[in-house]
Amino acid sequence: MKMKIFRYDKKTQKPRYDVFEIDPTPGMTVLGALFYIRNNLDDSLSFRYSCRGAVCGICALQINNVPRLACRTQISSLLEGTAEIQLRNYQVEVKEKWDSREEVLVEPLHYFTIIKDLVVDKKRFFDLYNATQPVFKPADEPPERERLMDPEAVKELENYTNCILCAACVSSCPVNLKNPEYIGPASLAKLYRFHIDPRESEDDSRVLLMNNKAGWWACEFHGNCRRVCPKGVPPIIAIGKARGRIDKIGKVPTEFSKK
Amino acid sequence: MNYPIYSHDLVIIGGGLSGLRAAIESSKTGFDVAVVSKVHPLRSHSVAAQGGINAALGNAVGGEDDNWERHAFDTVKGSDYLADQDAVEIMCKEAPRAVIELEHMGTVFSRMEDGRIAQRPFGGAGFPRTCYAADRTGHNLLHTLFEQVNSRNITIYPEYYVTSLVKNSGRCVGCIALNIADGTLHGFVTKAVLLATGGYGRLFARSTNALINTGDGAALAYRADVPLEDMEFVQFHPTTLYGTNILITEGARGEGGYLYNNKHERFMEDYASKAMELAPRDIVARAIQTEIDEGRGFKGEYVHLDLTHLGADKINERLPGIRLISMDFAGVDPIEKPIPVQPGQHYSMGGIAVNTKGETELPGLYTVGECSCVSVHGANRLGGNSLLETVVFGKLVGGEIAQKLPNISKPSKEPFKDTLEKESKRLDKLLSQEEGERPSNIREELRKIMFDHFGVFRDEQTMKEGLEKLRILQKRFSNACIDNKDLVFNYALIYTLELEGMLLIAEALALGAIERQESRGSHFRTDYPKRDDKKFLLHTIAYYRDEKTELEYAPVTLGIFPVKERVY
Repeated sequence: MKMKIFRYDKKTQKPRYDVFEIDPTPGMTVLGALFYIRNNLDDSLSFRYSCRGAVCGICALQINNVPRLACRTQISSLLEGTAEIQLRNYQVEVKEKWDSREEVLVEPLHYFTIIKDLVVDKKRFFDLYNATQPVFKPADEPPERERLMDPEAVKELENYTNCILCAACVSSCPVNLKNPEYIGPASLAKLYRFHIDPRESEDDSRVLLMNNKAGWWACEFHGNCRRVCPKGVPPIIAIGKARGRIDKIGKVPTEFSKK
Repeated sequence: MNYPIYSHDLVIIGGGLSGLRAAIESSKTGFDVAVVSKVHPLRSHSVAAQGGINAALGNAVGGEDDNWERHAFDTVKGSDYLADQDAVEIMCKEAPRAVIELEHMGTVFSRMEDGRIAQRPFGGAGFPRTCYAADRTGHNLLHTLFEQVNSRNITIYPEYYVTSLVKNSGRCVGCIALNIADGTLHGFVTKAVLLATGGYGRLFARSTNALINTGDGAALAYRADVPLEDMEFVQFHPTTLYGTNILITEGARGEGGYLYNNKHERFMEDYASKAMELAPRDIVARAIQTEIDEGRGFKGEYVHLDLTHLGADKINERLPGIRLISMDFAGVDPIEKPIPVQPGQHYSMGGIAVNTKGETELPGLYTVGECSCVSVHGANRLGGNSLLETVVFGKLVGGEIAQKLPNISKPSKEPFKDTLEKESKRLDKLLSQEEGERPSNIREELRKIMFDHFGVFRDEQTMKEGLEKLRILQKRFSNACIDNKDLVFNYALIYTLELEGMLLIAEALALGAIERQESRGSHFRTDYPKRDDKKFLLHTIAYYRDEKTELEYAPVTLGIFPVKERVY
């Protein structure tokens, strides 16, 4: 099979696609194939890696034009078409054609500035993350022991605390790709996680923080975020519920301002 | 050349749980603290910890009368009496407070029906003591601590690879780091340096560890004449996923999973009839390896971890991550079929020698977490104690440094110029080699040698052969050639720098293992199958002198628990 890989470096500033012929071992993942290439064929190929077990969130890439974790995506599943993800309204121009029966196309995540090959600058992503003030703000002074929590509340929270901040959702989101202001699914899911945390204040300040056109109200419910999430996090549901809450308390969306 | 030189009161190298917890504590009183890490902190290996964190909270049914002494006893016995009991006492006394503090910072722990933090049984303890957040405890803790650090005035230098420590007049005064994004060298002038770089698991072919766990901190310290302790003690986790060696948490057995050989026998009956699957990790790992070696494993060298009898609800609630990992990486749904597992390297008990305040032999250099050896785990770590060590000692050492900082004057930038030039030449030399061997070949061979010659079972002849092979690899390294000369995100270069350190510390591990003629905890010698307290109730201390490893021995700090035979 062939790996068709996006290449770019600042010196030449000429993007290109390199094709590497490899013979995948059983169970080989896209990350494994990238390592095979770097170790045996071309050591100048740059890509990020860490846990290789789908928990650290560092290796999200466009794989056959779908944002996925490279470590979790098996080559065979791509060639056999057994792990297909259909994205909606994902009008991203693919500059290179590929034959999905014998080729895998690997590119850096959309939405970000490319630095080298598959490595992008994630600063934009963490700026969005920081805009939602992602830190626990308890409603009251800490007790001597743990705060009590209903196991059912924990179950609901886990849907969102499972996010590994890999940014696959942002790169899959048609709104993010056209609207640079949009806070995006990962950050809104994180914000919602704090909103529903029963240990925080019940004053709705969390949902109201993004009661604006860059926040909850920018989402168009394409649902790609949920489809690509490697951890099953459903930002689309958080966004729907947050909007419902705002409607219920009758707050009008405000204009978005970057502080 | 002109290199950027930054000044901070404290630089913490490593952004996992230990480093971040220390950053929070040391910055509390307004000190200027920076975290330098070769990956973004959220990508640190702490994120992969699954099963939980031990604390004698006494929440769980059956463990109501738990207390720090019981926790300490289990830890010391688990360590095969090599742990320093003063360090264990600190850790176990602080444990409940540390866990509650994490809860107060926002961690969403799993709960009991009455809302208190839930606890599950883990190996080496008689009742449930391990607090958890499903099977994603490390992920939840790391994100919590990152949120805390991120909301404070702490500078983070992500994707900076530290190439050396800087010393002046017998003191550590900072470090040199390579900015991976553009390949430039930077100096960090500091009053203190804290190494929190994690373990050296990637020395071994089969490892649960992240690809980044290459023992960088140990190599940095070793080169700066700081000794390494008990490097031969390497934990092999009994249940790593066949194929990729991704961790399958001990929690899977804690929740009731069984181990079966190819005859469908629950073979733990023969090895630890009382504790069964929940015997400590060294014992279960050896049992599985014995089953495999004696032909009772499955083709490909694995046994079965069966969860099917737990039912879909329990698996989905308590072990959702394990289910996903099994399906994604082995194509097995544990609700329907047993998981194929085999032992693999999991944890580095050894590390940089350090006292309970985090001080190394080099003034100004501190260390904490898996890269250090304080030693709370001795010859075998209990599951649930590594996360605990990170937060307890991260806080303690961060606080210790903060206390000392006011009395340390700001070091001069003078020695940095020389060191920066030296490091620059070292990198140039690596990159100027036009012909030679791929460093990745050497690295793969090293991992295989370490696993084959210093694995679950060890003996003198096999290890000596391994040491010879290792020395050949060390020589071959001088011929290593990186084709990629571009400095932007040159991971081939990073891989090579890591390899240089790995080859160095591997020798300390090898010599320590050869010289320790006894079996204790994870270090099992088929030629010396018994523990020998007369000769070896001692810590191995390895020094790097004149480019050679020299071993010394130091007494174990005993305490309220007398040394006894270890039976489960």
